[in-house]
Amino acid sequence: MVNTLFRVTPSGWAGMACLALAIFIVPEIVGTRWLSVFTSTGCFALAIAGVAFMYARLGMVSLTQVGLMGVGGWVTLRLNHAFDFPFEVNMGIAALVTMICGWILALPALRMRGLYLALVTLMAAGGLEIMFATFQFPNGGDGFWGVQTGSSDPFRRPWLAQSPQAYMRYVFVCVALGFVFIEIHRRLKPGRAWALIRRSEAAAIAAGVNVTLYKTWAFGIAGLLAGGAGALLAGSLGLLDDGTFRASESVMIFALAVVGGARYWYGAILAAVLFRVLPALLNNWGVDADLSFVIFGAGLLHAVITAPDGIAGQIRDALLSRRKGANSGKGGADA
Amino acid sequence: MTVSGLKNWLLWAAIMAALILWFSWGQRPTMVGLFIASGLAVGSLYALGGIGIVVLFRATGVLNFSGGAAGAAGAMTAWQLETWGLWPPLAWLGCIAVALAFSLFYGRIVAPRLAWRETVVKAVATLGYALIILGLVSFLWADDPRSISLPTDGVGIRFLGMRLTATRLLVFAASIAIVIGIYFFLARSKVGLQMRSLADDRDLSALIGIPILRVETIAWGIAGVLAGFTGLMFADLIRLEASVITFMVIPSIAAAICGRLENLTVVLVGGLSMGVIENLLTLSPLLRGVRPIAPFVIAALVLLWYQRGQKLTFGGKD
Repeated sequence: MVNTLFRVTPSGWAGMACLALAIFIVPEIVGTRWLSVFTSTGCFALAIAGVAFMYARLGMVSLTQVGLMGVGGWVTLRLNHAFDFPFEVNMGIAALVTMICGWILALPALRMRGLYLALVTLMAAGGLEIMFATFQFPNGGDGFWGVQTGSSDPFRRPWLAQSPQAYMRYVFVCVALGFVFIEIHRRLKPGRAWALIRRSEAAAIAAGVNVTLYKTWAFGIAGLLAGGAGALLAGSLGLLDDGTFRASESVMIFALAVVGGARYWYGAILAAVLFRVLPALLNNWGVDADLSFVIFGAGLLHAVITAPDGIAGQIRDALLSRRKGANSGKGGADA
Repeated sequence: MTVSGLKNWLLWAAIMAALILWFSWGQRPTMVGLFIASGLAVGSLYALGGIGIVVLFRATGVLNFSGGAAGAAGAMTAWQLETWGLWPPLAWLGCIAVALAFSLFYGRIVAPRLAWRETVVKAVATLGYALIILGLVSFLWADDPRSISLPTDGVGIRFLGMRLTATRLLVFAASIAIVIGIYFFLARSKVGLQMRSLADDRDLSALIGIPILRVETIAWGIAGVLAGFTGLMFADLIRLEASVITFMVIPSIAAAICGRLENLTVVLVGGLSMGVIENLLTLSPLLRGVRPIAPFVIAALVLLWYQRGQKLTFGGKD
């Protein structure tokens, strides 16, 4: 039991190698601007992991993940400016509050399937966008909304990660923990329930699986990850801007999760890289930012039409077929 | 009409009356009237967008996010043509033609390749198309304040002591006329019959020999024309900005949800109610800031109302 729970797959080893690379090498070689780009890439990877997991394991589409990140970020900033808690406590509370928000959103929505669930979450994303635009994010002002004009009060980063480099490592470790969290769920009872629900809700009910509970559970995990991601994003700059949390961004995140490949952890990373790093690169090369929309859109259409498992699925297929080719070259070692 | 349907309508009327009374308490009647009138105009735009979405969704099974973007492309084209000194009616036709072309391109070239995917994925794919159009349009027409005006803007009509521009009356009348027109088209024409049959069961329709591609192309055409018209009106009444027109599709979807993606009359009434409530919120000092949230809250409440008493049971379609 414990053996199967903690067995590390080849993909898991690859993930650890990537994490090591991201922690030990990347912060040493990149400049200040790219540090912040990669840090926010990490935050979005965590949020995308949440949507991708829900879509791949249960076929549920959430179009409000970035809105939920905004909730997490809002709570973190609010707590930071109101109390003296350390960052980790703020982040934990923010993640829990966001999870509860996800549940509140999910419970009525769970009677709906497929398209309607997606549309309800889209409405929620539209609502959150307007809330953020109206009330802004706390920056040390008075009152409940805590907004003041002019410069914002300082933000307390985690004591482990005061410098930008250290904060980047901190974010990457959190992202890795998020992926492990999902994977452990997948290998335990909830994962089996989700697999059954994904196959057929009728079969799941007949087998005694509490469908509502496990769907809500999945929504909660996605909310938790979004809340954590929002908190980490707030910590990256110490303030947040409502422009980051538009409904269109939530839809984009889902779209990119499909493009990246929702079934694999590297799909979420690829999606976050497309979302954050590609626009920055295009900007560096002097390509008009508007054209990055065209590239995203074309990439999305291409991925949806030709690659149901996204880019990650194509990478995996390529690797598997190469290994197969090598094996058959050795005279069919499998046989 | 069934009893529960009648009950729903009575409930809707009661809620609308209560909301209007609440927000207009202590205000001048003319002022309230003006807010309602301009709300009806905005609501007509939501409804027009919603009608395009519903007609297309019923006939093809594609929930189209790209209607707003096609409308934006059309409106920008119209602005450009007018700037070049073209006779304005031709520019407006240009708007509709561009939106139609974008819509038909997707319907003929892209949509058939996705026919086998889930509804949600098809919807997300149209989002990709919307992004392509939006990117191209924003690239071609960089962010500058622009405006487009129709001759109907100058014509005012006095009604119960309020002065209304003819454009607002035009969108309002158009939304009603289009619902009636589409109703008769679906009920009386052969293509309409085929569309209804496709909406009912696609596989069976194909078996009995309904020319699916042709019917779908017509549906994409209708959606394109509606998108172009809505885009032009939106540019005139609200703002000529590509990203704003593109994402007007979200409140349009809210209107479409009110009609459960099938009933055009309810889409119209829902869209109009959303516009009116959104505008009336301006009168409330407390809720003024969150005014644009109205369509989403209304759509969510309507969905919950439809879902009441249902249990998660075996399968069935979405």
